[in-house]
Amino acid sequence: MSDWEPKITAFLCNWCSYGAADLAGVSRLQYPPYFRVIRVPCSARISPKFILSAFRHGADGVWVSG
Amino acid sequence: MERYTEKIRERARDLLESGKVDVFIGYSKGSVPMMNRPALIREPREVNKLLWDNHCALNLCNYLTKRTEKIGIIANGCNSRNIVTHILENQIKREQLYIVGIPCEGMVDHRAVARAVGQRDILAVEGLGEEFLVKGKDFEERFTKQTFLQRNCVTCRHHNPVIYDEMIGEPVEEGELPNGYADVEAIEGMSSDKKWAFFAQLISRCIRCYACRNACPLCYCPTCFVDESKPQWVGKSSDPTDTMTFHLLRAYHCAGRCTDCGACERVCPVGISMRQFTRKLNKDGETFFSWEAGLTLEKRPPLDTYRPDDYNDFIK
Amino acid sequence: MSGKPGNFSAEILKRPRFVDVEKCIACGACAEKCPKKVDDAYNQNLIKRKAIYVEYPQAVPLKYAIDKDHCIFFEKGKCRACEKFCPSKAINFDDKEEHLNLKVGAVILAPGFRAYNPAGDDTFKYGRLPNVVTSMEFERILSATGPSQGHIRRPSDQKSPKKIAWLQCVGSRDVHRAAHGYCSSVCCMYAVKEAVIAKEHAGGDLDCAIFYMDMRSHGKDFERYYNDAKEKHGIRFIRSRVPTIEPVDDTGDLILPHVNEAGEVEEERFDMVVLSVGMETTPEVARLARNLDIDLTEGRFCRTDTFHPVRSSRPGVFVCGAFQGTKDIPQSVIEASSAAAEAEVLLSAARNTETRRKKEILERREGNKTPRIGVFVCHCGINIGGVVDVPAVRDYAATLPFVEFVTDNLFTCSTDTQDTISRVIREKALNRIVVAACTPKTHEPLFQETLVSAGLNRYVFEMTNIRNQDSWVHKDAPDKATEKAKDLVRMAVAKAALMSPLEEAEVDVNRRAVVVGGGVSGMAASKALSGQGYQVTLVEREATLGGQALNLFRTWRGEDIQENLAAMVKSVESDPLIDVCLNTELGQVEGFVGNFKTTLTCKGQEHVVDHGVTILATGAKEFKPEEYLYGKDPRVVTHLELDRKFMNHDQGLKSVKAAVFIQCVGSREPQRPYCSRVCCTHAIESALYLKKINPDAEIFVLNREIRTYGEREYLYREARLAGIVFIRFSLETKPKVFVDGADLKVEVPDAALGHSVGIKADLLALATAIVPYKDEKLARFFKVPMNEDGFFVEAHAKLGPSEFASDGVFLCGMAHYPKPIDEALAQGQAAASRAVTLLSREKIRVSGTVAYVNPAVCSSCGVCVEVCPYSAPSFIEKGPFSGKAEINPVLCKGCGLCVSSCRSGALNLKGFEEGQIMAMINEV
Repeated sequence: MSDWEPKITAFLCNWCSYGAADLAGVSRLQYPPYFRVIRVPCSARISPKFILSAFRHGADGVWVSG
Repeated sequence: MERYTEKIRERARDLLESGKVDVFIGYSKGSVPMMNRPALIREPREVNKLLWDNHCALNLCNYLTKRTEKIGIIANGCNSRNIVTHILENQIKREQLYIVGIPCEGMVDHRAVARAVGQRDILAVEGLGEEFLVKGKDFEERFTKQTFLQRNCVTCRHHNPVIYDEMIGEPVEEGELPNGYADVEAIEGMSSDKKWAFFAQLISRCIRCYACRNACPLCYCPTCFVDESKPQWVGKSSDPTDTMTFHLLRAYHCAGRCTDCGACERVCPVGISMRQFTRKLNKDGETFFSWEAGLTLEKRPPLDTYRPDDYNDFIK
Repeated sequence: MSGKPGNFSAEILKRPRFVDVEKCIACGACAEKCPKKVDDAYNQNLIKRKAIYVEYPQAVPLKYAIDKDHCIFFEKGKCRACEKFCPSKAINFDDKEEHLNLKVGAVILAPGFRAYNPAGDDTFKYGRLPNVVTSMEFERILSATGPSQGHIRRPSDQKSPKKIAWLQCVGSRDVHRAAHGYCSSVCCMYAVKEAVIAKEHAGGDLDCAIFYMDMRSHGKDFERYYNDAKEKHGIRFIRSRVPTIEPVDDTGDLILPHVNEAGEVEEERFDMVVLSVGMETTPEVARLARNLDIDLTEGRFCRTDTFHPVRSSRPGVFVCGAFQGTKDIPQSVIEASSAAAEAEVLLSAARNTETRRKKEILERREGNKTPRIGVFVCHCGINIGGVVDVPAVRDYAATLPFVEFVTDNLFTCSTDTQDTISRVIREKALNRIVVAACTPKTHEPLFQETLVSAGLNRYVFEMTNIRNQDSWVHKDAPDKATEKAKDLVRMAVAKAALMSPLEEAEVDVNRRAVVVGGGVSGMAASKALSGQGYQVTLVEREATLGGQALNLFRTWRGEDIQENLAAMVKSVESDPLIDVCLNTELGQVEGFVGNFKTTLTCKGQEHVVDHGVTILATGAKEFKPEEYLYGKDPRVVTHLELDRKFMNHDQGLKSVKAAVFIQCVGSREPQRPYCSRVCCTHAIESALYLKKINPDAEIFVLNREIRTYGEREYLYREARLAGIVFIRFSLETKPKVFVDGADLKVEVPDAALGHSVGIKADLLALATAIVPYKDEKLARFFKVPMNEDGFFVEAHAKLGPSEFASDGVFLCGMAHYPKPIDEALAQGQAAASRAVTLLSREKIRVSGTVAYVNPAVCSSCGVCVEVCPYSAPSFIEKGPFSGKAEINPVLCKGCGLCVSSCRSGALNLKGFEEGQIMAMINEV
């Protein structure tokens, strides 16, 4: 399990989580390189369709935050 | 139950003759036993096609969407709750409708009957009050109605219409059920893997005919997401991933709106119990929002509502 | 500072930062190489930073500075490591102090406060006992960006504490030593917040106890928060002043002895103690005030008066925030806008006189052609290039569909690169641009300007973040970081291929305002608008202006309210720009920001007003109780009725032998769980006045807690010194009022005495709640929300207290929450100031990122209309698509809630289209 590299699709709200991910960078907090961010204008933009689509396209996990 | 048939015909005739309605929507006998079909009656002379028996389980509200004429309609609990939802969602106007309320005593599960007679060909089914008689080519069997109710009728809490202009017959008693969600709780108790296996198994026979969607009065969109191509949300095949995507999204579209009328299950040609999806959402609606769909014209369903001062802590 | 209002000359000293902010890209290479470690003041010295630093990660601008006092170069003359490693040559050791001479018309003082330092106070042994920390230190300990990443650890041994105590009023409400007699207004709530968050961080087994004198949760929604802290989070509230903190040997634990409410001495052991330190004005600010010739109060705050809450004693110099008096964020933000309004009025003649216009460049019609994408990959010095293989990402980008041009730049944001991008766009006829660099949050506008200068629409641009969210956070995995950068570029290109140019809707602004409500806040708003030359229609349903202030006698500062109010009413009535409509209500409202059409109804007559903005100042009223014999015995009166007696010089007051005040009548009760904020101060002010006109009267104030926040606390102290007796009761032990023969008797159990106190009262004044009008019709007209109590809900509790989420509608005064005159007035000015941000423009231009409807697929279900917080969707009324939804782009904020809620797929969001996001999902 330790060498498993999950594929995570992350939907981050431009105003909070996306900014937080930027700040994590400013603070040089290191974390595993397995998620790919899709910036959205608000977590309200996330439709259940996106989440299911991400899974349909092979995501192991979907992260929504806002 | 059959005792209401005459009354329905009478009321339909009056309404059509007086011009109070342009069309009267009810049930008529189908070509197959136990499969009554919706009837749109426009002429007083046709009212004798109308009937009311143990097999009036399709949701008539489905035939109201975007109609412009004056309509008379039969409404039991389920139909009436969907009428409420239809009015709330601008699919029909209250003033267009003349609602003939009817107390419902539950509908018979046609699949259960077929199983009970060993899938032999049924030629006729006749109601006899608490019992009904099933006739085949070379057999006749009597069954007790209570043991052959549709599953949604067993857990039904709204037999009587919640909205009507007149009632045919006295309201039946609404018995409070000890726990209508025992099945949902059993699934909630499963591990993620077990749940996945359960639902995968549940829909494994699905042929993506969309009968469930077409029978559902909530599914009135001009274009369904499954038919969209730019972008294409769901593949057209019966690949399990696509099938699951369809069922999950369909269920979510019903969240806070489903009246558990059972039309979806009734029409499924392969007998999938897709109410397992919607019933979980109905249960959550009750737990988190004290909400049952179609009971009031005053409020939109919780997921349609934006309130900055939402009192629910979990949303803050 | 010299000169007069409208024409000051101000001398400003600007200290050198030794870093050129134009060049610094905040990459952090300097701080990484800097050998000098310094206590990090932002983190309360709990950890170290470098001598070159940004104060905190959210700093604006995000640029480094050198701390001269600790820099090795400035100490010893050599080092210059930062200079050597700075990739953008931003270090400048020759930077000098600058004396700026500014010509200004108005000055706003917002110097803030500092936290009280408890080191000098023996009681707490702060500085000697490591596990006694200040609340400011605890804030950092709780913070995810703090020294322990939000894990609660106590300083002595880094163990997670199991029991934490907060001690309130450290440095506040204390007339001893260097402490302050005033209340700091905010510590009760922050202590409750810290305790709640600490419990959330630590999980169930953390015990939090707050030792307090009076819990002051007088802000909007604060009482609920306090109740929840007690009931839901199990935080213990102990009403006791802790006299000393004793260490338990060398365990690090602490013993707090205290006297409980029954008068017995108890001891309790804690792992950690947090001192809730108050606010104070720094000596530097006090010196500044002296230099500026500004009067200070006893507590060293800027002196203002109730009817001019943000004016200092020097004309043209305004004040806001904690320097005006201790306060929380919402009130600071209100005052900030209020001070801005005062300055705007003073300077309105100069508005737009120094505006420069940018040259407009004609947009080429490129957007709808086949995509020709240009990809620019940034090295950001070594920030990206040091980890990610930038040339490999660039080459990979070249293989992607529709990509016609790729390059990599050392700094994509540099001025010369902008010129290159602009040139390449024209030469290669590019019509979509992707930049892979730092974060769009800081750099997107820059690149969009470059697109515009090259004749492209600003929205055919996509930026992907391969620095903050890639190279900086995956330093040890360069291969994976490169792979991630490729993925991100592929996703961005996929989205870019589906982009098209977007239009920004424009709408004309009608320059008139309608102010609903002619009370103090409504009048203040009207004056602040007319003072800037805008026309105002002031609507009042009663026959006179003045609102609730007409019923009030004196302010807590002793100012005569009727005299001041009359002057205010007169100035409003005689103002040629203010159209006062008395006996008038709103009949109908149509339109939206910039273009409202409101029908006013006055005595059966209707007339229509066109206006651009609306301010709701509809106020609140006094609650009429049914308890304590109110309405049944003439000796029982409300506060407003007592004020009326004062104003009428009621001779009966002089013969009162005993007067009783009962607080929280209808407030802080289960059916109305909020504090009415003004009643404690009002009761004490009235009690003192009664004592003044009738010195022999015995006066009792029966209260659940006294909430004389800020310098109002002096009044409370004065009352106690004047012999006014304060007796506390609780919700369970409310006083009993009954008639015994001819006597009116009040009985209340006194916990301190252990038995009931009976008082024969000649006067019983009830501090009844302030209740809102709950005007549902008005809320519907302007599509603005109300909370459960019936007060309007502002756009943001902290940052947008005087406006609604719906554009063009503002709020002030008691319609927002109960408040005294000075605060209502300040908020009136604040609402006006916020409104001027719209009124000062001829047109409002909105973002191109807005929702739109495909009416052919719309099912008319109305979900979008219901869910939108900004009322942007509505139903089309006429034509072939009648009944379908449409979006007003002017109101749309582009959040996409309607889009994701739309079952039919009829809605979409420009710039974040379903297809664009799906394309990105496909490419993950």
